[in-house]
Amino acid sequence: LCSQPPYIVTGPLNIVLSVIFMCTVVPALSVQGPGIFPQPHRNEETEEHSFLDNMFWMAAPKKRRTIEVNRCRRRNPHKLIEIKTNIEPCPECGNLKQKHVLCGFCYEKVRRETAIIRGQIQAQEGKPLNNPAVETVVLYEGEKPAATDAGKRIVERKRQRPSWFTQY
Amino acid sequence: MWYLAKMIRGMTIEQAIAQLEFNDKKGAAIIKEVLLEAQEMAVKSHNVEYKSNLYVAESFSGKGQYLKRIRIHGRGMFGIMDKVYCHYFVKLVEGVPPTEKPRTGFDQAKEYVQQLRNRTIIHSL
Repeated sequence: LCSQPPYIVTGPLNIVLSVIFMCTVVPALSVQGPGIFPQPHRNEETEEHSFLDNMFWMAAPKKRRTIEVNRCRRRNPHKLIEIKTNIEPCPECGNLKQKHVLCGFCYEKVRRETAIIRGQIQAQEGKPLNNPAVETVVLYEGEKPAATDAGKRIVERKRQRPSWFTQY
Repeated sequence: MWYLAKMIRGMTIEQAIAQLEFNDKKGAAIIKEVLLEAQEMAVKSHNVEYKSNLYVAESFSGKGQYLKRIRIHGRGMFGIMDKVYCHYFVKLVEGVPPTEKPRTGFDQAKEYVQQLRNRTIIHSL
């Protein structure tokens, strides 16, 4: 029944389990004789006849839902998308942001700079898990380590200090 | 897609772009691109002076051609899976969006009474 992928088999699908023909598996026996006894087979057949009459078989829709009824359900206000009232411009860059979320543009700007710093740290360390047990200080062009940065690891960046990266 | 198109109907273009930017649906990014392109086209070749003076007059989606594929179920059953495509259309108009006056119950009653009064016998003297 499973066809090869290039061939598209078009035909109505019957997901509701109507009569499915399964070949009865005949167990192989070393002794000559009938593989299965006829009695259990008959019981299976009678059960198949009665299941169609059984009222607790499967729930199914009685009538087709008209497009008007479908539209009433699909276009009900509770299913429509609510408009958000928590969008405002970011005071730093002017792009839009949600009130309770960081501005995407500003976050991306910081992420790029920190990615470069992390690349330099990786180059300094050489192999993984090789970080020294001291703090790290990032110094930009024309900056010297302060007195408080005595024993810290220094990472140099060859550019001017960005305005948002304060030095305290 | 229809829900997004319905959401932005009647909004100013800035408001529509803001709402679509923070919507998680796949169609939101697509519609936002379309709106930005339409805004650019309006300013370049349709003699629109201010790019934010536009509002969404019409916005709707239509069914495109579907591709059909097989979806295999258990027991040798198969289903026909549709690869869905749709078209999206938007019309931007320059100016302030028109405000729809909310119809109260009294207005609806007045309209109903007027309809009753308009009933007449056709082809009469």
